Amino acid sequence: MITNWLSEPSLTAAILATLLPFAAFILIMVFTRKYPRLSAGLSIAAVGISLISALFLLVRHWHLQTPLEYTGRWLLSGDVAVPFGYLLDQTSLLMLSVVATISFLVQVYSLGYMAGDAGFSRYYACMSLFAWAMMSMTLSPTMLQLYIFWELVGLASYLLIGFWYEKFSATEAGKKAFVMTRFGDVAFFLGLLLVLVHLGNLNVLEMNGPQVATRMSSTYITIAALLIFGGIIGKSAQFPLLTWLPDAMEGPTPVSALLHSATMVAAGVYLFGRLFPFFSQSAAAMAIFLMIGTVSMLLASTMAMVSRDIKQVWAYSTISQLGFMIMGLAAGSYFAGMFHLTTHAGFKALLFLCAGVFIHSFESNDMFDIGRQGGRRLKIPMACTIIAAAALAGLPPLSGFFSKEVILGALAELNNPLWLAAGLLGAFLTAYYTFRLIFIILFPRQSGAESESGHGHDHGGYWVMGWPLIVLAAITVLLGFFQGALEAFFSGQQGIPVAGAGHHGWLPFAAIGLALGGVLLAWLEFGRQGADQVGFVEKIAPLNHLFAQRWYIDRFYRRFMDVFIYGVVSNLFTRNDKKVIDGGLDGLSQATVETGRLVSLLHRGMVQYRLLTIFVVLVFLGLYFFI
Amino acid sequence: MIVPFNHVLILAGLLFLMGIFCVVARRSLIMILLGVEVMLNAAAILLVGASLRWQNLDGQAIVLFVFAIAAAEVSVGLALIVWAYRRTGSINPENYNILK
Amino acid sequence: MEFTGFPFLTAILLACVAGLFVILVIPEQRQAQIKWVSAVFSGITLILSVYLFFAYDKSQGGLQFVEKIPWVESIGITYLNAADGFNLPMLLLTGIVFFTGVLTMWELDHRVKEFFALYFLLVTGVFGLFMSMDLFFIFVWYDVSLFPMYLLIAIWGSTRKEYGAMKLTLYLLAGSALILPAIIYLYVQAGLNTFDLTLLMRPGTFSPFEQKFAFIFLFIGFGILAAVWPFHTWSPVGHVAAPTPVSMVHAGVLMKIGAFGVLRVGIFLCPEGWQYWAPLMAVLAAIGIVYGAFVGLSQTDLKYCIGYSSVSHMGIVGLGLATVSVDGLNGAVFQMFAHGIMTALFFSAIGYIYDRTHTKKIDELGGLSRIMPVASTYFIVAALAGIGVPCLASFWGELMVFIAAFKTYPLWGTLAVCALVVSALFMLRVVQRTFYGPKNEKYAHIPDVSFGQGLPRMILLAVLVIFGLFPALMFDMIETASIPFMNGLP
Repeated sequence: MITNWLSEPSLTAAILATLLPFAAFILIMVFTRKYPRLSAGLSIAAVGISLISALFLLVRHWHLQTPLEYTGRWLLSGDVAVPFGYLLDQTSLLMLSVVATISFLVQVYSLGYMAGDAGFSRYYACMSLFAWAMMSMTLSPTMLQLYIFWELVGLASYLLIGFWYEKFSATEAGKKAFVMTRFGDVAFFLGLLLVLVHLGNLNVLEMNGPQVATRMSSTYITIAALLIFGGIIGKSAQFPLLTWLPDAMEGPTPVSALLHSATMVAAGVYLFGRLFPFFSQSAAAMAIFLMIGTVSMLLASTMAMVSRDIKQVWAYSTISQLGFMIMGLAAGSYFAGMFHLTTHAGFKALLFLCAGVFIHSFESNDMFDIGRQGGRRLKIPMACTIIAAAALAGLPPLSGFFSKEVILGALAELNNPLWLAAGLLGAFLTAYYTFRLIFIILFPRQSGAESESGHGHDHGGYWVMGWPLIVLAAITVLLGFFQGALEAFFSGQQGIPVAGAGHHGWLPFAAIGLALGGVLLAWLEFGRQGADQVGFVEKIAPLNHLFAQRWYIDRFYRRFMDVFIYGVVSNLFTRNDKKVIDGGLDGLSQATVETGRLVSLLHRGMVQYRLLTIFVVLVFLGLYFFI
Repeated sequence: MIVPFNHVLILAGLLFLMGIFCVVARRSLIMILLGVEVMLNAAAILLVGASLRWQNLDGQAIVLFVFAIAAAEVSVGLALIVWAYRRTGSINPENYNILK
Repeated sequence: MEFTGFPFLTAILLACVAGLFVILVIPEQRQAQIKWVSAVFSGITLILSVYLFFAYDKSQGGLQFVEKIPWVESIGITYLNAADGFNLPMLLLTGIVFFTGVLTMWELDHRVKEFFALYFLLVTGVFGLFMSMDLFFIFVWYDVSLFPMYLLIAIWGSTRKEYGAMKLTLYLLAGSALILPAIIYLYVQAGLNTFDLTLLMRPGTFSPFEQKFAFIFLFIGFGILAAVWPFHTWSPVGHVAAPTPVSMVHAGVLMKIGAFGVLRVGIFLCPEGWQYWAPLMAVLAAIGIVYGAFVGLSQTDLKYCIGYSSVSHMGIVGLGLATVSVDGLNGAVFQMFAHGIMTALFFSAIGYIYDRTHTKKIDELGGLSRIMPVASTYFIVAALAGIGVPCLASFWGELMVFIAAFKTYPLWGTLAVCALVVSALFMLRVVQRTFYGPKNEKYAHIPDVSFGQGLPRMILLAVLVIFGLFPALMFDMIETASIPFMNGLP
């Protein structure tokens, strides 16, 4: 086991960061369920210390050259050794900091948002569970440990999405999320097993190292990569497993902000980054990843264009941006994906938290309602939303602009201009749907119906919900300027192939132009006076339907489940059990009973049959003896 | 011998078979008893014929014993049948099936 | 006569038997007394089994706590008990399930004395089988544990109890009818005039043909008890019909006797037969895993769901045994333990709900979580364990088995892993329909679990979590037996 952990400050920090939330979870679940304030305090204290530890580690190891690994034997069974520990390198430390920061801010925000809820303690317990699982996942030195915490993160997501369990739609959404991600996890697990069988262990550094190519043939590497990517598809809600994420918006908004925008769904992208050298070994796999990322990005953008629910728009946007990150990674640029991951976490969480303020104040998710009821009069959320939206759309000088540039640059390096075109189209659509929402809220029609009762809620919580917004807005504004520092930070990362740095001077301008074009189109359709606030897509009814129904993917899954899984397979097996196997057995016992009945006929009291038998036997005996 | 021994054998055999048939195939206890009587008489005929064939008087003496025993057996049997009829209300052997 | 130190194993058996006699002596009306006596004696067995588990010297390994009394010398029957890495987890499991089962049935008021007497008899048989190393006694204990099941289910059970009891007993007797000839065959073929396992185990005692021949009978015979597909249909019916603590013992322990019997008798005595028949074992196990999950999807009765889930999990045990490897054996034995605890928790939780709501139909339940959150938590945690969520004990068993299976039978291993999705779907569906949803006014008056009532469930949950977080505690123990065993094979 890990000994002398106090003597190594990095190890201490890592342990504090990951295990304190777990301790909080246990304490809350067992002891403090009845004391909501104490529970919240425990949870926030734990994640606060995690945040400090994470930042400490980040700063301390800013110039890290070789990764630090601390492991102890957790389990040894025959040939399989399961170590447990921490791997500290650039990727994991940055992700840890992101997770810790957003977790802390969201938990503070939740003090206001969830105030008065009956399940307050349970909420914080689940939040702590999530924090523990997510942070342990980022610091995992082996894929097995990562998988374990990956599953636990999924569990926390299930518990939090279905938090208001009295609503059927919430528990349905939670179940759907879990089962869909489980689907991806099965593929993930199979990929890990494949690697384990060939490589002998699942150590991340080894998988990223050069031995892999010697031990596994390239076909196996490709298959393993594709299978592991299955997990990423599930967790990051890429095509075709993307429909659980919009449904996951049933959960409380802080949950959406934390899990389903910034951290949990980003775990898929993080995994991609974690295994980037491994994946890079297979060009075929990377090409497929690129395709999936592109398809997801474009599909989700189209769905966002017709949605009326504010959280759904941001959910689709998350899927789209994750697809964008995957495009960047699959194009061969490690930094592109990771940088956008970081900036996206900041502004997407901000968007959700602002949406949370709107929803909390006006009790409606519908953006038209929010606009009508006077959403624009909430100054801080509105301002933060606009800042974050601009970052999302990729407008300078916000962080989103810088990170999108890197990705577009990576796409431009590819031979096929199709990907770059797709990326630029995506940028245009993103700006369009983002500012559609902004303008609907900013410039509502029938503004005479503004209700004053929108502020009938707990004002005491307002400041608590307010300052995390400001912090995130500040990060959004400033983070972009750290690009150079981050790039230098990542250059120390082991095993990353150096991305070709091409000069495409026209690219930033094209991107800005498209973004502004999107904003303009949104303005024309929604913002300016006299516009009818119906988008160009919404006017085309079939397209509208297609996008609104999520390209009928959900319908397809529902039919598949009902017809095939329930109707055919389950039905078949159940009938088999009842009729064939049980039927056979019951038939066997019936036959035994009937045979008994038949045999008992021999015992009928009919004298004459017995006499007949005697005569016949005597005749035969006589024949036998005398002839 | 006036009657050839073979004829006596055939007569006795046929009578015996008829007796068996009466025992086995008739649905009445009294008929069973009758059948047994017929079988006994068939055996008696055979014994008389045998006595004539081998010129020995022992055969006819046995027949006298057979008659006596037959008479005793029939009376006991009929008494049992009367009692059984009073118990079960039927002389059909099919109804005597409590042991089933 | 040979005892190494204090005869702990016999002490466990004696505690059960003594408890049985004390219960028989207490008059029928003094129900509270009967229950307290049961609790005390079952607690003694629990303490003893826990002590044994930790007192076993792992560095030395092998058979410890050996007790040997020759019984019928002319035929070679010995009263022989021993503890090794394989049966100590099982003894621990039985101790825990026994004690928590007694506590779960605390509110019984119908024929209390007979119930606890029969229950003690049942567990005596179970304990005896796990600790015995003599073929004759293994068979005797098997039947001793079988007969009380019939009475327990037929008298105190629920849905279709006569049919369930009859089916279960006859089916399992059929299993024993397959085992007995195999045992006798082995006894005769060995020519050593002994039923002692440790002597019969030596390599070279049986020819390969004899091993293959005997193994298939032993596998099917014990496999019936372990709910190997397609001989599993007694299990869901039996689960549903039985009263709660009997279900706990049935699913938690009895089914493990089957798997353990395959291990202790089949695999120990006929290793070549094992290797020969292993592909068949793997196929049946894989089918069982997938089948159980899919059929469970269509069920409307809570206990039927858990019954089919048990079939699926026992399939995982079977798959582990079929891989003929250390990892597979470790995973299988660990899964036996973990599944036993998990399913005991399931039934314990369901028992509370059934006692209060008098229904097991999922359609009639719903919205229970708001009314009895603690009771719901127990069930939900058990359901999560059933899905294989990490940090609960069942994850590690499944992990090891899947790793071992993937190495040996990639196709069946893949199939088994895919069943994870189906089991998640079906378990979560059950949880959703039963516990979530708007508060059900029909049951709004039902009180939540009190501390005393919650005690057995808390113990089970704690064990699940402890072994989920620190699986090495169990794996180290199992390894002391599995590694030398696999190394000793030709």
